[in-house]
Amino acid sequence: MTRPAGGFQAWLDEQTKLSLAAVLAGAAGILVLIVGSAIVFTTGGLTPYESIIKTSHSGAQTAVLFLTLLLGAIGIALGFSVYRRMPTKAARETAISGGALGVQAAALAGLFLWVRDIEKFDLLVRQNFSFEILGEIAPEFLNGGKNTVLLAAGGELLGIILGLVLAMLVLSKRAVVRAPARAYINFFRGTPLIWQLSFIYAGIILTSRLPISVYQAGIFVLGLNAGAYSAEIFRAGIQSIERGQIEAARSLGMTYLQAMRYIILPQAFRRVIPPLTNEFIILIKDTSLIVFLGLTEGQRELFGIGRDAYSETFNATPYIGSVLGYLAITLPLIRAVTALERKLRSGLTGIVGM
Amino acid sequence: MTASTPGTGALVQLQGIHKYFGDLHVLKGIDLEVEAGTVLVVIGPSGSGKSTLLRTINLLEEPTMGKVIFDGVEITDIRTNLDELRTNIGIVFQAFNLFPHKKIIDNVTIALRKVRKLDEAEATERAMAELKRVGMDHKAQNYPSQLSGGQQQRIAIARALAMRPKLMLFDEVTSALDPELVKEVLDAMKALAQEGMTMVVVTHEMGFAREVGSRLLVMDDGKIVEDGVPREIFENPREERTKSFLSHVL
Repeated sequence: MTRPAGGFQAWLDEQTKLSLAAVLAGAAGILVLIVGSAIVFTTGGLTPYESIIKTSHSGAQTAVLFLTLLLGAIGIALGFSVYRRMPTKAARETAISGGALGVQAAALAGLFLWVRDIEKFDLLVRQNFSFEILGEIAPEFLNGGKNTVLLAAGGELLGIILGLVLAMLVLSKRAVVRAPARAYINFFRGTPLIWQLSFIYAGIILTSRLPISVYQAGIFVLGLNAGAYSAEIFRAGIQSIERGQIEAARSLGMTYLQAMRYIILPQAFRRVIPPLTNEFIILIKDTSLIVFLGLTEGQRELFGIGRDAYSETFNATPYIGSVLGYLAITLPLIRAVTALERKLRSGLTGIVGM
Repeated sequence: MTASTPGTGALVQLQGIHKYFGDLHVLKGIDLEVEAGTVLVVIGPSGSGKSTLLRTINLLEEPTMGKVIFDGVEITDIRTNLDELRTNIGIVFQAFNLFPHKKIIDNVTIALRKVRKLDEAEATERAMAELKRVGMDHKAQNYPSQLSGGQQQRIAIARALAMRPKLMLFDEVTSALDPELVKEVLDAMKALAQEGMTMVVVTHEMGFAREVGSRLLVMDDGKIVEDGVPREIFENPREERTKSFLSHVL
C-alpha cells in the first residue's frame, strides 16, 4: 500500500477517521429514525388512529425513512469496506460497529417503508394502535397494575416463607423428612400453573365452599407454586455456603437452628437475591393466568383488563396497554437484578458491603 | 453428671475409635488419654487421620465405633447434650471459618450472646479482652475480608477462647497462611500453652511441636505409631515409620 505524504502517523490518523465516519453514519441513521419518527408522529398526533396512517405516508416521514436508509447504507459501505485496513484493534471494532448499526438502521427503515404500503396497513394500524381506546380505560389499567403487583407480591411473600421451610426440609439428613418436601416441590414444578390455579380453585376451594375470593385464591396458588421454585433457590443458596461455616457455628455450641438463623441463612440470602428476583419477575408475568378463574371488575389485573377490553371492542390496542403495564413493572426489576449481579460478580459487594 | 469411666481423671479419653468414610478406613482403633494441662501435638503424613482424630474429639466427625469421653462424660452417648458440651471445647480451623457477614466483634460475641446468654455489654467486654490478648482489639469494627490470614486466624483463636473452653483443638491452623504470617499465630498459641491451656494441636510445624508440645503423637495410616516426649521422639525415634516421616519433614 502506498502511503500518502506526511509520514506514518498522518496515514494512521487518516485511516482511523474512516472508522469514525462509519460509526457516526450508522448511529446517525438509528438516531434519525427514532427521533425523527417520534417528532413526526407526535406532531401528526397519535389519536385518532387515522392520523397515524396519514402521518406514515406523509412527506416528512418519507424523508426521515430515506435519510435513515442513506445513512445506514453509508455506515454499511464504509464500515465493512475499511475494517480490515484499520491500524488498531479499537479502530477495527469502531468500523465494525458502524457497519452493524448501519444494517440495523437500514433494516428498520426498509421494514417501515414496506409495511406502510402493504394492503392491510390501515387495518393493522386501526386494530393495534387505536390509542383513543387506551385513553378511555387508563384508570382501569392503573388499577390493574396495582392488582398485578399485589398478586405477585402476595404470592412471592407466601412463596418465600414456604420455600424457606421446604428448603430446610429438603436439606434434612433424614430421608423421611426429605421425601414429602421433595414430592411437593416436584409436583408443583412438574405441573402447569394454569392447571394448579384451575384445579385448586374449582376442585378444592369452590367445591368446599371456602370463603375465599378468586383474588385470594390466586395469591394462594401463586404462593404454593412460587414456594416450590423458591425452595430450590434457597436450597442451592444454603448449600453454596462453605461447610466450615456451620462447623464453626456448631463448635461454638450453637444448635442447628441457631447456626441456620445467625450464620448460614444471612449469607445464603445475599447469594440468592438475584435468582429470587428472577423468580419474582416470572411470577409477575404468571399473574396473568389468573384471568382464567374469572375475576370481578375491580380485581382484574393488567392482562385481564386488556383481554376484556378486546372482547368489547374487537380491537387489539388494549393488549398494547397491558404490555406497557408489564414492562413498566419488570424492566426496572430486570435492571436492578443485572446491576446487582454485576456488583456481586465483581466482588465489590462481596459478603461485606450490602 | 455421672463419670462414665472413673479412675484416670484424664480430660479427654478416646476408647477404641474407628472411623470409616464409606469404605475408607481412616481411624483404625485409637486409644488415647489426654490429661488436663497437656499440649498434645499430633504429626504424621497427610491422610494419616490426624485431622479426623482431632475432629472426633468434639464430634464434628462421629466415630463409626468407639467411645469419646470428655471431662468424665461420654459424649458419644446420644443422650449427651452435644451443643452444651461443645461450649467447653474450642476449635480453630485451617480455613479460619470466621463469619464473613459479621464484624470481628460480632464474630466473637455472637456465641456469647446466643449460647452463653450474656448480655450485650458483658459479651462485648469479654470479647474485647480476648481480642486484646491476641492483639486484634483495634480491628473490632472491621469485617474478616479486610484482614490478613494471620489476623483472621488470631481472631478465630480469640473467638474460641471467649467461650472459656477447657480444651482447645487446633486443626492445621497455619497451613493456609503465607509463610510470614505463621509466626504471629504460633506465638498466640505458645502464649496460650504457657497459661496452662489443655491443647490438641495437629500441625506440620515441627519447630512448634518440639518447642511448645509437652507430648507428641505420630500417626500413620489411621494408627498412633509413636507417643512420647517431643524432644525424645525427634532425637531418637523408635519406629521405622516415624524415622521415615521425620526424614522427609526435617
